[in-house]
Amino acid sequence: MVTIRFTLNGKAVSCEVSATEVLVDTLRVRFGLTGTKKACGTGDCGACTVLLDGTAIRSCIFLAAMADGHSITTIEGVGSIESPHPVQQAFVDAGAVQCGYCTPGMVLTSIALLEKNPRPTEAEIRVALSGNLCRCTGYQKIVEAVQLAAERMSGAESQN
Amino acid sequence: MREPNYVGKSLPRPDSLAKATGAAKYTADLSLFRKDLLYAKALFPPYGHARIVRIDTSAAAALEGVAAVMTANDLPGANGYGGMIPDKVVIARDEVFYEGDPVALVAAESLAIAEEAVSLIQVEYEPLESFDDPQRMLQEDAPLLHAQYPVPKDGNVSDAVTVKKGDADAAFQSADVVIDNWYKTPMLDHAYLEPDVAIAEPDPVQGGLVIYSPQHAVQMAKRAMSDAFNLPQSKIRVVSQIVGGGFGGKEDSTFDVSVIAGVLALKTKRPVYYEFTRDEVFKNTGKRHACVIHHQLAADKTGKILGIKVDTVVDKGAWKSIDAIPSRTAQYAGGPYSIDHALCRSWSVFTDHPYGCAFRGLGSPQAHFAMESQMDELARRLGMDPVELRLKNILRNGDSTIWGQVMLEERGLGLEECIKRVREDKIFQDPLDQSDPKIRRGRGMACFLYGTGTGMPTDGAHCLVQAQPDGSINIGASASELGQGFIIAMKQLAADTLGVSIGKVHIDFSDSAASLESGATVASRTTVLTGNAIVDGCRQLRRRFQKVGAEMLHCDLRTCEIDHDQVYPTGCPERAIPLKSVIAKAFASQVPLGTVGSWYPPMTYPNPENQGDKMHTYAFGCQGVTVAVDTETGEVTVEDAVLACDVGKAINPSTVEGQLQGGMAQAIGWALMEEHFMASGRMKNHTYHDYLIPTAMDVPQLRTILVEHPNCLGPFGAKGVGEPPIVGAAPAIRAAVRDAIGVSIYEIPMTPVRIMEAIRNSKK
Repeated sequence: MVTIRFTLNGKAVSCEVSATEVLVDTLRVRFGLTGTKKACGTGDCGACTVLLDGTAIRSCIFLAAMADGHSITTIEGVGSIESPHPVQQAFVDAGAVQCGYCTPGMVLTSIALLEKNPRPTEAEIRVALSGNLCRCTGYQKIVEAVQLAAERMSGAESQN
Repeated sequence: MREPNYVGKSLPRPDSLAKATGAAKYTADLSLFRKDLLYAKALFPPYGHARIVRIDTSAAAALEGVAAVMTANDLPGANGYGGMIPDKVVIARDEVFYEGDPVALVAAESLAIAEEAVSLIQVEYEPLESFDDPQRMLQEDAPLLHAQYPVPKDGNVSDAVTVKKGDADAAFQSADVVIDNWYKTPMLDHAYLEPDVAIAEPDPVQGGLVIYSPQHAVQMAKRAMSDAFNLPQSKIRVVSQIVGGGFGGKEDSTFDVSVIAGVLALKTKRPVYYEFTRDEVFKNTGKRHACVIHHQLAADKTGKILGIKVDTVVDKGAWKSIDAIPSRTAQYAGGPYSIDHALCRSWSVFTDHPYGCAFRGLGSPQAHFAMESQMDELARRLGMDPVELRLKNILRNGDSTIWGQVMLEERGLGLEECIKRVREDKIFQDPLDQSDPKIRRGRGMACFLYGTGTGMPTDGAHCLVQAQPDGSINIGASASELGQGFIIAMKQLAADTLGVSIGKVHIDFSDSAASLESGATVASRTTVLTGNAIVDGCRQLRRRFQKVGAEMLHCDLRTCEIDHDQVYPTGCPERAIPLKSVIAKAFASQVPLGTVGSWYPPMTYPNPENQGDKMHTYAFGCQGVTVAVDTETGEVTVEDAVLACDVGKAINPSTVEGQLQGGMAQAIGWALMEEHFMASGRMKNHTYHDYLIPTAMDVPQLRTILVEHPNCLGPFGAKGVGEPPIVGAAPAIRAAVRDAIGVSIYEIPMTPVRIMEAIRNSKK
């Protein structure tokens, strides 16, 4: 077991993890953050996506020990039902959520994209989302949600 | 009737914000807050077909932290379970028939201990001959896969269905043209993102089990597993949280995990958690049946279809459980066309493959792939426009299907409008870009119909509706929220029927203890059947409240309006009193606040030749696509897609569009990339990196056209729309590929290898 210290959703935390523990298990089992989904365990589907210092990573193939000293953001860290992130709200408004198992990962990937590229083209959105599988929506309304969020977020910035 | 306040509007779904914020709890999430769980693991065989010679579990049982190890000798009840036929083994005794038959089970204090214990179980197998070719297994002299089997069968045939209408042989003799081809479609995984999972918890108070597992049918689950648990059906409560995708697969696969968790819970008297790994989801759970279809189509020289003869052989895999595919492939073998003479025979055949189960479309996509491909071949043979050929043959008011059902305009017949809307679309109007000689572009279309409901006499739905004295409403409905938008659609129907605001309606969903039998959330049936039951229950309640309200308002019952939570005489909204005061008055006046809502579709009477009505209504559609084929690599890209679908009435247009788009994407995967490879009963690709499903880059903009020809028997005119959108894209893509490269493909998926092979063969 090793002790790791990292920032989790803005708060400094520490815990003991085994050397082979993957981050998704640490987040779900030790911190009870069940918004991060575990769907394949092989890094293929993107349902377990979290942000590591703002970059989208797959927490099912990322050793928990490697999070030491970094900042991890999960879906719970970006917004809540009472106060959703604009990207979360855009997913709701665009009808981009069906079964929802891919949604937290999709939202976090979209947030990471918009942070780097506030007005992405449709092709850029599709490239960014291509590591996150969705079996329900055909991606159409997800792409529209990211476009809607980009529009709203850049609009809000220009007003400030 | 007044204009609905909610039906027909794209209201946001109540579950979407909970899902988008990660707050929504799925079944696996429930386990993380419990300290009392045992964790289950099963040992599966490294063979498709083998005899179990010896099994030694002593080292596993001796491991610290192991609560139970079970073999077939330790079961509490029957060694069988299943949706309709309980033929799937809980634990294999002497022989395994596919890779997903469990050989031994473990329950332990942690998953790590359970995994270690399973690794300590010693099994000696004698590999047996692999029975993996359904066409070979259909032959009379074929060896039997199941020598012992719980229900009567004919050799290796799980089910055989014939649809016979008129005299097909005579029709073929009088034909000007016969199109005769073989088509092959692959075995597919549903690839839902949420792995199968169950928590089984003994009930110490009254005895029995509570099962939490994502699925399609909490009421059927009680029947499916009661003999295996040796419990009366009344002592099994089944709860499904929101489901992380199902597409038909979790109708059966929930039993695979639930029965294992359940027998271990009964053995240990502790709650047991069991979740499949992704590898196990791929290898063990049900699949879309691979099909081989011999399709013969006879027509006259004007393009009028005279008759069809279709033989379909379906790979059923190792177990039956539920087997509707022969009936569906035979029913839909003639597509949405008026055909007077048909002989359509389908067989589902046992092999040592994963069992075939429900998957969006239930055999209809396979049948339509062949039929619509035949229509394109016929159009080419006759030099006809494929759109005109279809318009010449489609089912219209008064026409009879190959199963002898007369089509009625009042049930909604929107196919002609769908075809015309797609023909007007830019896919068929804009010129194709053929500027790059290596990239050939083409366009194609395909039509389909798809019935709402199972078409069986057992189809029906019931629900509980209860008003609360504060004016809010509970509706107990057993259907599942799979992501399709069940909850919001039911809220819309209930609010508009009762005259309450939508926020007052709460759906108590998919808990067998809080609902009544309403059939499975399959067969595109829930909006219509459960929806009609809810409308019925709400109407009964509304009538009671109108009666009480009329007394309070001193007005005629027939003019007592309920709308926006207010009760008032027609035309006098200023005299309105709150509905909740009417409900409180009813409560105090011995007027019951609860009703049972029920609905049955018109009775169906199956006969041996399968002539007669099946589903009470059908959704229709027309799919158009543009593809680009790279003639150097064989890669096919769908560049544009439009789907016009006659949905009767879109209760929530946004969620209906979501169904159309999702169905198209799954169909693009089916047409171009998805395929399980089996070798000697073993699956060769069982991860998301070798079983590929479409990503956001593999699908184009998916455009939808909602056509509404109301179904007079549906709630507000609705038809079922969950499955139809997957049916048209594969034959449309095949037609577009044909248009692009001038070569006909008869087997999907149309992978680069198959495309290059077809191009090379065409040059020989």
